[in-house]
Amino acid sequence: MSAAETKLDVKLARLIHTAEAPGILYGSCFDSTTGKYYAAGADGYVYCLNARPAEPFAEKGKAEQKWRHHDNYVAALAWHAGVVISAGYDRRIVWTKADSGEKLREVGAHDGWVRKLALLPNQSRLASIGDDMLLKIWDLPTGECIHRCVKHQPLTPEGFTNALYAVAASSDGKFVATADRCGLVCVWDAVTGQLQQHFKAETFYTFDAEKRARAIGGIRALCFLPDGQLVLGGIGQVSNVDGFVGPCRVEVWNWQEAKRVAMGTDKHQAIFNHLEYLPAEKLLIGGGGGDGGPLLAFWNADLLEKKTEAPLSKAKPKSHIQHFAFDPVSQQLLAAGHNGMQVWSFTPAPPKVDEKK
Amino acid sequence: MKNVCVPAEHALHRRLFLGGLLTGGAAALSVPGVSFAADVPAAEKLRKDQKRVLFIWLAGGSSQFEMWDPKPGRETGGPFRAIQTSVSGYQVCELMPKLATRMNNIAVVRSLNTKISEHFQAADLISSGWPKEPALEHPEIGVVLAKELALQNSKLPDYVSLFTTSEGRRRPSPGFLSRRHAPLLLEGSLRPSNIELPAGLSDTQHLERDRLRAALSLDFAKERAGNDLIQGYNEAYARVRGLMSSDELFDLEKEPTPVRERYGSTPFGRHCLLARRLLEAGVPVVKVARGFWDSHHDNFESHRELVPDFDNVLSVLLDDLDERGLLSSTLVIVLSEFGRTPKINQDVGRDHFADAWSCALAGCGIRGGAIHGETNEDGTAVKSGEASAADIAATIFHAAGIDPQKHYQVGQRPVPLAKEDSQPIKTVLS
Repeated sequence: MSAAETKLDVKLARLIHTAEAPGILYGSCFDSTTGKYYAAGADGYVYCLNARPAEPFAEKGKAEQKWRHHDNYVAALAWHAGVVISAGYDRRIVWTKADSGEKLREVGAHDGWVRKLALLPNQSRLASIGDDMLLKIWDLPTGECIHRCVKHQPLTPEGFTNALYAVAASSDGKFVATADRCGLVCVWDAVTGQLQQHFKAETFYTFDAEKRARAIGGIRALCFLPDGQLVLGGIGQVSNVDGFVGPCRVEVWNWQEAKRVAMGTDKHQAIFNHLEYLPAEKLLIGGGGGDGGPLLAFWNADLLEKKTEAPLSKAKPKSHIQHFAFDPVSQQLLAAGHNGMQVWSFTPAPPKVDEKK
Repeated sequence: MKNVCVPAEHALHRRLFLGGLLTGGAAALSVPGVSFAADVPAAEKLRKDQKRVLFIWLAGGSSQFEMWDPKPGRETGGPFRAIQTSVSGYQVCELMPKLATRMNNIAVVRSLNTKISEHFQAADLISSGWPKEPALEHPEIGVVLAKELALQNSKLPDYVSLFTTSEGRRRPSPGFLSRRHAPLLLEGSLRPSNIELPAGLSDTQHLERDRLRAALSLDFAKERAGNDLIQGYNEAYARVRGLMSSDELFDLEKEPTPVRERYGSTPFGRHCLLARRLLEAGVPVVKVARGFWDSHHDNFESHRELVPDFDNVLSVLLDDLDERGLLSSTLVIVLSEFGRTPKINQDVGRDHFADAWSCALAGCGIRGGAIHGETNEDGTAVKSGEASAADIAATIFHAAGIDPQKHYQVGQRPVPLAKEDSQPIKTVLS
């Protein structure tokens, strides 16, 4: 794979539509059948955007408000067979029928905020992480908790509250990876719930003992590559922990050997909140924001081949990105974050109409 | 004439420092043009039962929403829940479960409007209770308290300030008061530096040298200088020796293990344990700065890190003071330079906000469980009981048993301890 083989021309990335929603949207999911993109966040409502409208997008619009089944922030969404699964800071996971908004099921999931969800491909299982520092694996048909996986510690090495930020499932559904604020990564057998490997990627965690006596960072995003390697996303060492004042960072690990094999970074000061690898496009995408402003960054195979650490291309979204999905049909990237949803196209901008003519 | 300052005294100021640390001791030393209206400190009577003051300075600006004034369910409120406290009808953020059960001992002012939202200017204002004046530098409240609450003949410093992190570090200014009242600064470590005897010098030798110095000083006083000056000079040296002999006071290893474990392993826990040791030993004013609360990005994660530590340590500290019979005579004040914005910015941060924020007080002179003032439902403005920085200063002085309107004579100008238009917040005073 080389840049020339990448079908999507990421250098043409342009924002074509924003759909306003109040506050910050933290989680999103995509129904690839209908082209509907769902996102939810601070106000607890799930919002929807049709990513494949009959008419071209207007520059601005409003996201459609759908339902509210959480009484606190919604942190994550997952799509499964016509159902939106949502996880919230109200400690619950809720199953909602997407077309009607009917609540199908809810479970008290974690003793603390539920942070993220990941569907296990081919397994009819769902993984969740929460502020109880547990990975839980759920049986989708019944909503029963199958595994309760313990490894991440409640406190950081300095004695402060830790957090479990990221979860991802391998493409075959056999493994689940989790990562926390201190940079500890665990990989679990999704069937047995047994810990397979753990290692620390410490660059993602900055504890500033001298100036501010506090930390920032953590591994905020994970994704598996088709070959089984694991990508970690977040921010590098931060010079001023009052904010995301450090270089955006991804690391590729051979998790079986607990060995870092590649690293991607850029001078853009931001944290990646979400990563996606597009197998068909052979493209790694990171989305986030920080002191350098909002960011979408794109890497191709040159990252894995250690030819470059710098992204192939970057785009500056309108606002800090928390989560995103890619629609292979419309070839659009759908993002959620501050003040709503964004639609990104990778086609040349239409020529400007000369009004004088 | 004890408190009258003469210009020649300036030459001695440098000698009052020990390795850059001011240990003080010369009660007669002051700055030119400054005298004190009251010859006998107002807190003279109070010294008998040893009033003490502990400032807990949350440097950088902590969030009132994630601590004392939660707004659950509002867009500005953020994701944390509010929990009921031991005070009927009053809730705090869920990050403070331990303090919630101790609110009967704590008073909260939820209605500060201090207007200035730039770090240094705001810290100057809150620390002194006075707006900046071009012609007069006001002392920090702690310095005034150190002067007013100082124990006669104490070998300990009157004021110790712990600020081990460097961001936003402040050295409490004595302003127009003598540097004799400025604090002993603990910055790099929790032990004063340079208080060990030089290698090869025994304590007996050091004492003999000090006697010789004192004798020479006495001769000097008779022939060249005034007794007051030399008395102050000798007092400074006595303080130095006192500090050297109290080295163990700064050694937390002297505390029983269960006590150390109770305070926890975080820097703030260790600092507050040291503060308790100092207060118990008779240091009248201690300041513990806990940096750094500036959360322009990732506010919820940073408060999720900082507030539970604060909750645990302050709870332990209040209990410990109470168990030792010290809480009723120790005023504890939790202050920042300002609060944080109601608006949550795109980086999930809160910015500086001085229009409506909170502080807390406990112990000496404070009516535990009192909740003063209120902000509106989104926390964007004060709804009732608006209080200024000067009002907080007046409240602190009043709680410590000192008349806020007592004045110092600075040149031709009588300067009250707290600004003329200030009002102690009576709701929180016992």
